[in-house]
This record gives sequence, C-alpha cells and structure tokens, in this order.
Amino acid sequence: MKARTDRVGRWSLVGALIALVAAVAYGPAALAHGEKSQAAFLRMRTIHWFDLSWSTDQLNVNDEMEIKGKFHVFEGWPEAVDPPEVSFLNIGIPGPTFIRKESYIGDKFVPRSARLEIGKTYTFRVVLKARRPGEWHVHPMINVEGGGPIIGPGKWVTVNGSMRDFKNPVTTLTGQTVDLETYNEGNIWFWHVLWYAIGVAWIAYFARNPIFIPRLLMVNAGRADELITPTDKKVGLLFGAATILLVIFGYSSTQSKYPVTIPLQAGVLRGITPIELPKPTVDVKVDEATYRVPGRAMKMKLTVTNRGDRPVQLCEFETASVRFMNPEVCEDETGYPEDLLAEEGLSVTGGAVAPGETKTLEVVASDAAWEVYRLSDIIYDPDSRFGGLFFFYDDAGNRQMVIVDAPLIPTFM
Amino acid sequence: MSTTTSAVRSHAEAVQVSRMVDYLGLFILFFVLTGSYHIHGMLTMGDWDFWADWKDRRLWVTVYPIVMITFPAAVQAVIWERLRLPWGATVCILGILFGEWVNRYFNFWMWTYFPINFVFPTAAVHMAIFLDVVLMLSGSYLFTAVIGGLGWGLLLYPGNWPVVGPLHVPVEYNGMLMSIADIQGYHYVRTGTPEYIRMVEKGTLRTFGKDVAPVSAFFSGFMSILIYFMWHFVGRWFGNVRFVKRT
Ligand SMILES: [Cu+2]
Repeated sequence: MKARTDRVGRWSLVGALIALVAAVAYGPAALAHGEKSQAAFLRMRTIHWFDLSWSTDQLNVNDEMEIKGKFHVFEGWPEAVDPPEVSFLNIGIPGPTFIRKESYIGDKFVPRSARLEIGKTYTFRVVLKARRPGEWHVHPMINVEGGGPIIGPGKWVTVNGSMRDFKNPVTTLTGQTVDLETYNEGNIWFWHVLWYAIGVAWIAYFARNPIFIPRLLMVNAGRADELITPTDKKVGLLFGAATILLVIFGYSSTQSKYPVTIPLQAGVLRGITPIELPKPTVDVKVDEATYRVPGRAMKMKLTVTNRGDRPVQLCEFETASVRFMNPEVCEDETGYPEDLLAEEGLSVTGGAVAPGETKTLEVVASDAAWEVYRLSDIIYDPDSRFGGLFFFYDDAGNRQMVIVDAPLIPTFM
Repeated sequence: MSTTTSAVRSHAEAVQVSRMVDYLGLFILFFVLTGSYHIHGMLTMGDWDFWADWKDRRLWVTVYPIVMITFPAAVQAVIWERLRLPWGATVCILGILFGEWVNRYFNFWMWTYFPINFVFPTAAVHMAIFLDVVLMLSGSYLFTAVIGGLGWGLLLYPGNWPVVGPLHVPVEYNGMLMSIADIQGYHYVRTGTPEYIRMVEKGTLRTFGKDVAPVSAFFSGFMSILIYFMWHFVGRWFGNVRFVKRT
C-alpha cells in the first residue's frame, strides 16, 4: 500500500507540477520586436506612418514624452485583412514600462477603439509617462479587429530613475485624488486574505479527523451517515450563515463608502476626422518594379508628370516604415530610428521634373533593411504587390506625397 | 487492504500511516486541482479574471459562475459520495486562487509590472462555502444543484463588490467619462490585448436598464444549475471507474 501510494503520489505530483507550471507561468505577452515577423504585405499595404516625431528619447521616471505624426490608411488595403472599422491606437512596449496618459487621432481623445476609413490620412499623438527604468523599444501601433496589430516604427527610449518614485494620481468626480499604483490595494489584500482564511478554516475543521482511508471504509460499510455529526452540521450552518452575512456586510459597507459608481465604459468611437492633404500635382505611374533578391534592391521605372508650376525632385520612398532617402534632395531631421532609415538608400536617375514635363525616372531603393525587416518576403506573397509613399520636393521646399500600389516582380540574378 | 494490515503492527501505527496518507492525499489533491482547474479557468474565463477593466456587471457576472462551477461539482460528487467530505468546492477554489495569486504576483506584477490592483483574481471562496454547506446540510445533489447552483451565481457580484466597487468610481478624463478601472486599462498598456477584444457591457439585457447585475446573476445562476448537473456526472464517472473502487 505504501509503495503504491508513493508511486501514485509521485506521478500525480509530476502531473500537478506540469499543470501548475503551465498555469502559473502564463503572463501577459510582452512584445519584443514582433515587427519583423509580421507579414511584409501587412506592413506595406495597411497603415503607412510618416512625419513622426519623438519629443525625447531620454527621460526620467515620471517624465512625459510625446510621439506624434501622421498615418495613411492605404487604399490598396489587402483583402485578407478586415477593414479598419474597429481600430485601436496602441503602443508597442514590453509591459507597462510607460503609462499612456493621452492618445488622440485627429483631435479626438481615443481611449477606446475608433472607426478609420480606407484611403484617408490622420494625425495622431500619444503622450507617455515613464514608469520603469530601462531601455525600451517604443512603437506606435494600430490594432485592427480582424487584422491584428499593425506596428509602426520603433525607437529606443532610455528611462532613468526608480519605479518606486513613480506616481499616478487621478482625481475622481467625487473629489478624491488617488494614486492608481496602489489605490484599493489594501482593500484587495484584506478581502482576499480574509476569505482565503475562512476557506482554509472550513477544510481544517474536517481535517482534524481522519480524511481518507477510515472515511472510505465507513462509507463502503454503509455507515456514511455517521460521518457527518450533528456538531458538524451546526458548524456548517455557522459557516453558511457567516458567509452570507459577511457578503451582505461587505456589499452594503462598500455601497455606503462608494455611493457613486458607474458601469465600465465601452463602445466604438465615431466621428474621427481625417486630414485633407492637398491633391498632388505630380502623377506617378509605375511602369515596372522588380526586386533583385541577391542585391537587396528594388528597382522601379516611373513615369512622372509634373502638373505644377515648379520643378520637383523625388526625395523619399517609404514602405513598411523603412525610409529610403535621396541624399541629394533631402535628409531626415526628426531622429528617425536608424535601423529604419536608409539615409542614402534611394538613387534617382533622371533628376528634376520641370513644370509640365513628363519624364521617366529610374529609381533604386536598396538597403540591408530589405532583409533585416524581411520586406523581401513580399515576393512569396499570394498577391505580390507593394505599397508605399513617394515624397517629392519642389525648389521652394514644398512637399508632395504620392501613394503607390503596384505589382512587384522578383529577379534572381 | 491486505498489504496495509501486514505492513503495520499496531493500531497506533495504523493511525499514523492513515494520517500520513491524509496529508499526502490532501496535498496532492490541492495541487492537482490548482494546476488543472487553473488551466481550465484561463481557457474559459481568461481575461475576465485577469483584468479589473473586464470585471463588469454583465459578462463577468455571467461567465465566471457558469464556467467555474464545473470542477466544484465534479469534486463534490467524488468526495461527498466516497468520503462524505463537505469541502469539494472549497478545495477547488482555494486551489485555483492559490495558483492565480502566484501567477498574478510573480508574472503580472514582478515580471511584467502590472499593478496588483489591476490584475487581482475573482474572489469565490464565499460561493464555494455556500455550495459545500448546502450539500452538507441537504445531503442531496439535486438540492445542491438547484439552490447551491443558483446561490453560486448570485453571490459572485455582491461578494466581489468590496474589491471591485472602488474601481467603478467615475472620473472625468480628458473630457470623457471613465471609471477608475477603465483608466487602469488605458494607462497600463497591454500591447497584446487591444481594447476591442474587451468583452464588457455587451449583450441583450439592455432593456433591464439599471438592474443589469441582478438579471445577469440570475441568468448565470440558472445556467450554473445545468452545468452543475453535467459536471456532477463527470465527477461520478471519474470517481467510480477510475480510482476509488480499485482501492
Ligand atoms: Cu520593437
């Protein structure tokens, strides 16, 4: 019997430990650079982030930083992804290392999901308050219901100080100011410990007497009814009554202490206004686009028509948050994340396009980022197209944005 | 039992062995339940139990009792039938709460830094004791299913209100009305849990106006009765065929 109990015990323990570890080890997923594993077409043909700026990348606990910019909801939104009718402006960080104090699309505060329209451009702004020291990769992102997370460019931000100093005061409509870091925590511990103790007492009462073998023998002998004594029943009644009374007491004392409460707030936010970008006076037709696999370069032949009254030059090609810059025309001054910035990644033959002129430009966008960010995987896509933004500048420094959506052919030589 | 009788030589020794079996058995039972019930809980009521901003008066109140009455019903069926022990539900709830607190404290707080006041689990010991006491006093599974099951559903909300209520105090935040729990959910960024996943305040009970919580609780109680029956038979089958008869 003893040996068998041991064996059963050992195996049960192994099973229990596995289950225990599996359950206890579960944690909220902390995202770390999931951006690269996301399908390339998702990043190229859904949300295009541009004009981003970060107020700082060095701050202390309790300091705030602001990320702002624009995003364009791509016209050629892939069919495999649900349209962005329920979208949430989120932040990609490993756990709440910052708190999100404010977030806006346009000038609308968006603590909940909102409805976005395909083909429109929006401004956004997120205010974060540093909570935990460390170096964190911070991404703006948009979660689309039925489409998953669409991650924007990530920037490394350093936070100094100690989390112990972090404060998060909020003032309620009933006039109290509370610190969300610790608010209600004592109350939670009190009630949980109290109930747990009552539960343990209930089992302990019956564990004073033998639990398993003698009771099993009694039950098998048909004397089960003797196992619950009148005293047991009285104790049971006591526990039952105390439980009900304690629930009533807890409920009513909470009601009188917090008379004003509201249900949780939910629901999709409507009426998000996009911005109107001036219609470009530059037309771009993609005659041919090939991706050279060994050279990690994308080659495009563009027919560009300038309907404006000033000569324009191609300065930048953006796709999937990677910015290929033509250093002869412009450079980045926003502190854009280095790994996503190909400062000399765009070479353009053909030069400026004069007013009224139609011209063919040969454009090569090459950078290691094609591989690093696995954008080249686009060629394995069932619908091998690419999407992106072209930025042109005229001689007075005015910018025009042209959106492209065209097929892409790989070459292997 | 022949091996037992030959292995012990005196009554005192038999008592000692029996006591050892008791403690070992209780220990194993507790941890087997902690593991398996906890996994069951995460797969069924998952986020409702993880986050304060999911603990609403509609879906949390409905879902938790229905999916969580399962193991208590089954364990009661075994240990009341075979051992006349009236703490089947309580041991389940103590097990899962132990596992949940370990998980919330070490993973959600120590490892991922979510504050405890946002990730505490649902209190349910009061529901379990009620279920156990009803079974012990009535001695009837039918009565336990109907009265115990209903009470199990009804008790969740008032029993948790002392912990959850303070988080429902209203705040005007950037021109919008939000409860403290809503603000917690907004402030403490969950990259992997976008807002639209949150299933709160949804359903067809709108017509009941303000009294949503009691209506949800009654509905949950009725469903708990049914689930209690189903899992009672699961427990019965488990207790019968597998272990106890062979001993
Ligand atoms: Cu990252």
